[in-house]
Amino acid sequence: MGDAASLRQALHRALYVTEEGLATVLWLAQNLHRPLLVEGDAGVGKTALATALAEATHSPLIRLQCFEGLDLAQAAYEWNYSRQILAIRRAETSNASNAANTTNAAASMADADLFSPEYLLARPLLRALQSDRPAVLLIDEIDRADEAFEAYLLEILADYQMTVPELGTITARHPPQVILTSNGTRELSDALRRRCLYHYLDYPDLGREIAIIKTRLPDAATQLVEQAVQFVQRLRREDLDKTPGIAETLDWIRALHNLGHRHFPDDVAKITDTLCCLLKTREDFFQLSTERLQHLAEGRKTVGVAEKHGT
Amino acid sequence: MAPDRPPLPPAPDVTTHLVGFAGFLREHGLKIGPAEQVAMTEAALILGNNLDPSLARNAAHLSAKYSAAWRAIACHSPREWRQWPDVFNRYWLPHKTRGSVRVSGQTRPARSLPDVVADLHKNLAETAHHPQPPARSQPHIGTALDAAPGHDQTDPGDESGRPRHQGGASRGEASTDALHDRELSQWSPEDLQHLTRLADQIAARLRRHVLRRWHPQPQGSILDLRHTLRASIATGGVPVIPHWRKRRRDLPRLFILVDVSRSMENYAQLFLRIARAFVQALPARVFVFHTRLTEITPLLQRDSASVQEKINAVTAGFGGGTRIASSVDDFARLARPQLNRSSQIWIFSDGFDADAPENLSLSLAGLKHRGGRVTWFHPTVGVPQSDAITQANCAQKIDRFIRLATLKDLTQAAKLLD
Repeated sequence: MGDAASLRQALHRALYVTEEGLATVLWLAQNLHRPLLVEGDAGVGKTALATALAEATHSPLIRLQCFEGLDLAQAAYEWNYSRQILAIRRAETSNASNAANTTNAAASMADADLFSPEYLLARPLLRALQSDRPAVLLIDEIDRADEAFEAYLLEILADYQMTVPELGTITARHPPQVILTSNGTRELSDALRRRCLYHYLDYPDLGREIAIIKTRLPDAATQLVEQAVQFVQRLRREDLDKTPGIAETLDWIRALHNLGHRHFPDDVAKITDTLCCLLKTREDFFQLSTERLQHLAEGRKTVGVAEKHGT
Repeated sequence: MAPDRPPLPPAPDVTTHLVGFAGFLREHGLKIGPAEQVAMTEAALILGNNLDPSLARNAAHLSAKYSAAWRAIACHSPREWRQWPDVFNRYWLPHKTRGSVRVSGQTRPARSLPDVVADLHKNLAETAHHPQPPARSQPHIGTALDAAPGHDQTDPGDESGRPRHQGGASRGEASTDALHDRELSQWSPEDLQHLTRLADQIAARLRRHVLRRWHPQPQGSILDLRHTLRASIATGGVPVIPHWRKRRRDLPRLFILVDVSRSMENYAQLFLRIARAFVQALPARVFVFHTRLTEITPLLQRDSASVQEKINAVTAGFGGGTRIASSVDDFARLARPQLNRSSQIWIFSDGFDADAPENLSLSLAGLKHRGGRVTWFHPTVGVPQSDAITQANCAQKIDRFIRLATLKDLTQAAKLLD
């Protein structure tokens, strides 16, 4: 990619509307061959960033979803034991006719062939290193993985290489562009943070969110999109358990669009019916009474004596 | 104050100023080592080589480009991320930075005339060496500074013996002790971060309980035969991969009861902050009580100003008496299904109880009967001497007493809690 501006345009073509700063950081990460750690609340578009980057740069996307208990066999590589045993049995059978040489054949089988790349099952991390062209490696929700796994990642992130004891060190043919995402549920180690470029992805401002929705839902009426996004922006200022992200906004406006709304519904009941797209906990539903929804829809901030009704 | 420099040098000259900028960032608490400095230089060179010549002298364009790139390298946390624009502008665009006064640290709360008069009387009494003995049923409430080892009459504070205003652009190691001894009203965001870390450490210690009477085996792990055989199906019945038994660890069930009555007015906020730190580190349940008991766990699980308002509203019982025994009874009834031998019950109170003194022993006996371990955190210098506490202590219904009035006390308490 030529420069940050062209990368930004490519991301836009991949339906990811980004600000100039993030495009610069992504472009820099590519040029410096540094991983990028993206932190932010759930639903702000961290995972979508990696998907869009892969699409924009025409690179394969390799995704590693982290969870508690994730180990090397699931993340990096695993020996194909079944095939190894089959190979041993096959060697034994073929040597049965030639009994005199059985011991020597089995020994030569074990030494030469059993721990070759042929019997290695590549998992996402190894696949990213072995890729024929630069890949985008998404390590999603790294904060859910154990600290031991985080430590294991350091070698890969720093040198783009992995050590398999039986084979030696495997170095990347083309260093992948690594994107790590974190929701901040656990504090990541300083060692990991300092190996990565860092970007905190916040909720988009009004203009950018409208642009995102218009990009994703070009058929939706502009008036509906603008008013609904304004409503969501106001809703985010409420003290909610789960603040709605861009994905929720998108779902909600898609729902309103599919229900045939050309503009924001005046009737609060119609908003309430579709709020399940935005609110995800019982407490949040309880907190947003019909009256409060009405205030949010009208853009009023406060309730009470301080509120002025056209005076 | 930023030193004299060109507002924003052209691309090739930026690198020559980076050393000073890196130092400036370090002064503002960002972790900038040699690796970050090299990366920032590389970024500047790459960006400089790729700049549109027509924009190379455009300060706003340069500023946005370099700021975005260096921010990604220099910042490692959301806090630093939010801090960046201010620091960047102060260094590179001082002409755009409007003069402002920022107070880091907390000013001492203003005192009213009655407080001044009361202090005067107190000082006179101390001068005359006639300290007033505390009432038997109302324990002496020591301040956070009472137990501070380095705090004596020669402390270079003001006439009331309190340390002067804390603050400044940066605090060195020398001020750490004073910071830890500071009262809640003078806590800064750094103190709160330290509290959170401390709560995590204590939570980690509490997690060390291993179930099923397992003890560490110096020889190694125990083979999980069933799991190994099951896994061997994938390899044609040959047990290639051994599976080892993992110790099951059980989180302790932590219950925190915070006294928010008038006698605890000075400490309730500290205790609630500590409780909040533990709720976020452990699956703990928190109750507040004065004359009645209320659970506030859901409010503590979130951290926002409006939630703090709700907590303040819930704890608005200041002014009433304290009915500890009745509140403990209510708690036992509410938490009965969860109480077992792994339960830890922490009561944050000065022990002043309006119920009959013998009731507290009976109430605590109910908790002990369920296997709970009762720890009494008190802000007073010594163990509370109220009748209710004395009787409960004699009856061995309270497992331990721990003083807790400052962060330092909590640090010391961390060694005792298990």
